[in-house]
Amino acid sequence: MSNKLIDFVNITKSYGTQTVLDDLNLYIRENEFLTLLGPSGCGKTTTLRILGGFENPDSGHVIFEGKDITNLPPNKRQLNTVFQKYALFTHMTIAENIAFGLKIKNKSKQYIHDKIKYALKLVNLDGFENRMPESLSGGQQQRIAIARAIVNEPKVLLLDEPLGALDLKMRQDMQYELIRLKNELGITFIYVTHDQEEALTMSDTIVVMNQGYIQQIGTPEKIYNEPENAFVADFIGESNILPGLMLEDRLVKILGIPFPCVDEGFGRNKPVDVVIRPEDIDLLKPGEGSIDGVVTHLIFKGVHYEMEVMANNYEWLVHSTDMFPVGTEVSIHVDPFDIQIMNKPESEDEEAVNIEE
Amino acid sequence: MMRKVLQKIYLGLIFFLLYAPIVTLIVLSFNNSKTRAKWGGFTLKWYSELFQNEQIMSALYTTLIIALLSAGIATVIGTAASIAIQGMKNRWRTLYMGLTNIPMMNAEIVMGISLMLLFIAIHVTLGFGTILIAHITFNIPYVILSVSPKLRQTSKHTYEAAMDLGASPLQAFFKVVFPDIMPGVLSGFMLAFTMSLDDFVITHFTKGPGIDTLSTKIYTEVRKGIKPEMYALSTILFTTVLVLLILVNYSPDSQEEGGKKARKAKKRPSKVRMMVVRRVIPAVIGLVVVAGGVYYAALSQTMNDEKVIVYNWGEYIDPEVLTIFEEETGIDVIYEEFETNEIMYPKVSSGAIAYDLVCPSDYMIQRMIENDLLAEIDFDNVPNAKYIGEGYMEQSRQFDPENKYSIPYCWGTVGILYNKTMVDEPVDSWSILWDEKYKDNILMQDSVRDAFAVALRYLGYSLNSTDLDELTAAEELLIEQKPLVQAYVIDQVRDKMIGNEAALGVIYSGEAIYTQWENPDLEYVIPKEGSNIWIDSWVIPKNAEHKENAEKFLNFLCRPDIALMNFEYITYSTPNVAAQEMIEDETIRNSEVAFPDLSKLPELETFRYLGPEADAVYNELWNKVKSD
Repeated sequence: MSNKLIDFVNITKSYGTQTVLDDLNLYIRENEFLTLLGPSGCGKTTTLRILGGFENPDSGHVIFEGKDITNLPPNKRQLNTVFQKYALFTHMTIAENIAFGLKIKNKSKQYIHDKIKYALKLVNLDGFENRMPESLSGGQQQRIAIARAIVNEPKVLLLDEPLGALDLKMRQDMQYELIRLKNELGITFIYVTHDQEEALTMSDTIVVMNQGYIQQIGTPEKIYNEPENAFVADFIGESNILPGLMLEDRLVKILGIPFPCVDEGFGRNKPVDVVIRPEDIDLLKPGEGSIDGVVTHLIFKGVHYEMEVMANNYEWLVHSTDMFPVGTEVSIHVDPFDIQIMNKPESEDEEAVNIEE
Repeated sequence: MMRKVLQKIYLGLIFFLLYAPIVTLIVLSFNNSKTRAKWGGFTLKWYSELFQNEQIMSALYTTLIIALLSAGIATVIGTAASIAIQGMKNRWRTLYMGLTNIPMMNAEIVMGISLMLLFIAIHVTLGFGTILIAHITFNIPYVILSVSPKLRQTSKHTYEAAMDLGASPLQAFFKVVFPDIMPGVLSGFMLAFTMSLDDFVITHFTKGPGIDTLSTKIYTEVRKGIKPEMYALSTILFTTVLVLLILVNYSPDSQEEGGKKARKAKKRPSKVRMMVVRRVIPAVIGLVVVAGGVYYAALSQTMNDEKVIVYNWGEYIDPEVLTIFEEETGIDVIYEEFETNEIMYPKVSSGAIAYDLVCPSDYMIQRMIENDLLAEIDFDNVPNAKYIGEGYMEQSRQFDPENKYSIPYCWGTVGILYNKTMVDEPVDSWSILWDEKYKDNILMQDSVRDAFAVALRYLGYSLNSTDLDELTAAEELLIEQKPLVQAYVIDQVRDKMIGNEAALGVIYSGEAIYTQWENPDLEYVIPKEGSNIWIDSWVIPKNAEHKENAEKFLNFLCRPDIALMNFEYITYSTPNVAAQEMIEDETIRNSEVAFPDLSKLPELETFRYLGPEADAVYNELWNKVKSD
């Protein structure tokens, strides 16, 4: 990864009394596939719209290639957006849609013609020039929206939940398509989604946001395996989040039972949150693991079975390829490196801390 | 099965009731016979006559230019307003949409009157400009109504997408948003155009003299009796509005639905449609404006600052007279008509239009003098006034005591018309109207003052009495008469008497002359107890801007040959003695009905304006008579 391309500096934005972004700081590197991930209302779309120029921050600056673009109108920015609902121009043909930006820039006919051909080929829709947008499927329309954006050769492509309106299969296909496009074009993608799977699949970097604050920034692996707080752990994948007490380095007490772990530096007898992923729990015969319990629910999920085990008054979520019928007595075992310790928030507000990398 | 048949019959009946009148009108417009009752073969002559009528063509052009301009301007303003409203917060948006809807729901007459009052209050002269402003005003809500839904459907993201692709806000609007809402804008324009085209009420109140749209023109023409050209004109108007409405309602919607159905098949919009929208419609609009402009320019070349604005009763002058005056003096006559004194009065008193010459009736002249609305006539400029008989000037003093403000134009009396074959004894008294012998053979005037005049004079009282005892006596007399009366009517007295349907009727002398031509058995008499004389005279309002021209025109009207032309056209008695002597037909010239010797007649009174309180008493008593 190379230089900073975009830098958000102390961005604050509110609508009426509601603060959407609170003193946000974030930088984006060239050629990065960066995903803003979070529940609706977390400020991710507002961040993207501020970058696109459709919203002005109340305070703070947006720096693009070292220049302050905070007050530049959208049509003067070297980036293009792919909108959630495609936003194709319904009264124009596909070719006219793609040519729109180029015509505004007074490019030559030949240049426009070549660009249309190239873009349609890139998104695998050769020969669609004279179709009208309405006659295309959702996935095709989305690819046209991408083609329309990239012919302008932007340095950054902003994608605002572009797959949100598509069905599951189409969504998965488009994920691969987007990764391929990113690699072929070699430009920066900034992607907004609330779908953690999309984020994990495609991103180089994920920025998890909640209530206007950045919760954690990191690679998909880091975000998944080492969530920094309960919000991130809960939002990314399914987890067992339990209150715990850090007895000493490498030993945490959960539900009254000491578990060996690999985390250090939390101090002695410190309350913490503990994250254990359901697939990291091994079910053994009674007495062989750390806590004994009974299987209370069983659902077949295809790749694995999802079970709930009642042990020490806590319902453990367990994913396993082995099946244990309801009523089976089992014992729970977790490997030390599968236990993730997190600082407990001292107040509700701190759950939304602003963390800088 | 039965149900289906019934459904069809019901539907058929509804459509029959809805469209029968219009179909009748359309059929009649192709009828070669002038009477409505008879089919005289197919013809297009009414259409060709229509297109040769300069006044109607001028009204047509005014209508089109106002419709186009008002629809165009309203479309621009309305579209901009829709965008602004769309951008508002929800609460405000609801409020503003509600506010724009109110003028649409509001009664047109309220809108018309309030606009007129506003124009008067801010001293805007009523004319082309005020009609245009009024039309723009009532058109805007229609445009907003049809643009707003389209705007709501349009995703704001397309606008942002255009900006994102490098378009400036203006480019983004015109290249992306506008084509999207185009069907709404177009149908808004069409709707506004249609509304403007057939508006009557608002135009009627906001127009000035000398300018007419088709609807006000038709109204004026129809008042004089329906001519077949009007059927042709109405047919054209109906067809135009129908076509426009079909365009408005059909084209954008069907395009949408068709689009959904033919989703896969849909490619570009047809070339023909694009052609029509982009080239043909603007070309037609342009052509109309240019052609009309040339026409108007040609017209206005002959027009000059020298003009006189005349406000007269309908059908109360020979049109030829206006032409001769214009040719002789080079002064343009801007001519407008009213139906009743009560309609004329507020127009003059409000000062909305500065008329130069008006022709009210006696009692209204009295009221105008009392309210200081009239200018003294400079009789040095009207030497021809000497041809007006002294007797008429004397009668005028009842309402214009010093003969300063008015010069008589037409006059007449009220009397009894009777059929010599049906009435045995000589008629010389109102008493015959109370004779049991003629039960169900008597026709009374169905108007409060005329009816009371008969009773009051019969009792020997003034027909302007405000004495409650006298009025009550008259009321009792009228109630007593009621069982004998065949009908209380106004215009039908003439036709019924001609058709021998009644023996006796109360009638105006002008009408009496006409009935005698049609039925020689009829005789007119002014009873010995006295009766009503009415005089319509020319007056010059105080706010007249061309008083000298008005006096020139007045002098012209008093010229014997011109007065004769008008007498022959109107057929009401003229006070112009010299004109009377020039009448060729001896029986008419010496007619006792048309030109009685005033000095030998029983006492004649003009009606006087009695004020609102007396008016109320009269109306109350008359209601008692009618409902007894």
